[in-house]
Amino acid sequence: MSNPSKTTEVQTFEPRIVAFLCKWCSSAGSDLAGVSRIQYSANATPITIPCSGSVSPMYILSAFNKGADGVLISGCHPGDCHYMEGNYLARRKLYLVKELLQFIGLESERFRMSWVSAAEGVKFAEVVDEFVEDLRVLGPQNRLKAER
Amino acid sequence: MVNVEEIRGYAAGLLEKGEVKSVLGFRRGSASAFAEPCTLIEASDAASLVWDPTCLNNLALYLVKDRKQQAVSKTPDTRPVGIVAKGCDSRAIGVLLQENYFKREDVVVIGVSCEGTGVVDPRKLSAKLKGRTASRVTFDGADGINVSVYGDGTETVIPAREVLADRCLECRAATPTLNDVVFGETVEARGYNEPFHAAKEAEKVSEDERWANWEHHFDRCLRCFACRAVCPMCYCPECVVDSTTFVVTLGTSAEEKANRIRWCERSANTSESAVYHLTRAIHLAGRCIDCGECERVCPVNIPLRLLNTKLEKEAFEMFEYQAGHDIEQASLLSSFRDEDPNSFIR
Repeated sequence: MSNPSKTTEVQTFEPRIVAFLCKWCSSAGSDLAGVSRIQYSANATPITIPCSGSVSPMYILSAFNKGADGVLISGCHPGDCHYMEGNYLARRKLYLVKELLQFIGLESERFRMSWVSAAEGVKFAEVVDEFVEDLRVLGPQNRLKAER
Repeated sequence: MVNVEEIRGYAAGLLEKGEVKSVLGFRRGSASAFAEPCTLIEASDAASLVWDPTCLNNLALYLVKDRKQQAVSKTPDTRPVGIVAKGCDSRAIGVLLQENYFKREDVVVIGVSCEGTGVVDPRKLSAKLKGRTASRVTFDGADGINVSVYGDGTETVIPAREVLADRCLECRAATPTLNDVVFGETVEARGYNEPFHAAKEAEKVSEDERWANWEHHFDRCLRCFACRAVCPMCYCPECVVDSTTFVVTLGTSAEEKANRIRWCERSANTSESAVYHLTRAIHLAGRCIDCGECERVCPVNIPLRLLNTKLEKEAFEMFEYQAGHDIEQASLLSSFRDEDPNSFIR
């Protein structure tokens, strides 16, 4: 009956997360999680950016368009921005992006933002783990994904 | 009531004295009852100006076009342009001034208050008339719009609520706040619908239903870019989703062609159209003044205004920001407050 060459186990869904990490904090935070040997999900693809304020909404739409199951944007805590106010501007801009994505009916859990400082390796691991768990429940993102 | 003779007289005066090089206004169009935009050069042309509920267009678009023309002209006429502006048009001019697209002295705003009504929605009107063509549409007192129907010469009074454009039902500022002169009475809210009514209704349905609706809309999009062409805020020389300045010549290498950044493809499929419309909505956040032109010109009836008013609503509720109300204020996305929402961030 069954083809022996085919694996019988059900292929489990592994969410793919695109994580835009601020060079001055979250990127170092993820590094700290690594050097501290904290075990956390390997589903996030980190992309270092100069500041969370430099995130264009196009990055997010483009990531979803190219098949990301979730997009995480992580920057410095309010008041700690290397460029003084980049994260405040990001907060306002990305709030609007989040609302817009929810408005057209993309699952609200798929876009997430966090403040992670360079000292918060544990928090970074938690944020990613939590995100992966939520995305596993949701399943693959097909709404904004390009058919190609 | 707005006396159209006063508008004509004022426009003629401006043109006669040579204070403006032209006046943008509305004249009787050739297609049924609807007015069409026109540019007046001579004072004697001013008699052709009209004002009725069919003056749909946002004339601020032509100020942008004039500015673009001036930029490439060798002998630009730097005199100001006069413009007949409704409440929404004046907000559009406000945003353009805020963004320093042109200077205050480059424009003479002939404000016209929409008073108790607004402009009609051509789709609602034709649905009401069941296929007949309206030959004349006039304001009629407090809550009616008078429609003369072509052919049998009958007049019908339709309650304004049933034929007014959605944006006019939700309008919060019917009187042009930015103006050099205003005709008509000052009226603010008109109480047909609460502000952002349509966006609030669209929010109420479930996530899956919302996506089903928008997928259906994005799927229909032809990518004709009419919404972009008609928008006075979409003045970028090159659009991020539709780069036209990448010129492929004999010297363009395959690598250059391959590495060119394409945020979204030009093909009209659901996912690419979604990227286009969402990008456009974000680019208009804090700039869209809700003139509803994008929705009006859409050949496939995509409710584009919803995307923009949703962000307008968030900007108003969360950041107390209203586009085009104050030309001195910092733009929505270049400013922040300490009390901006933070709870959505972990």
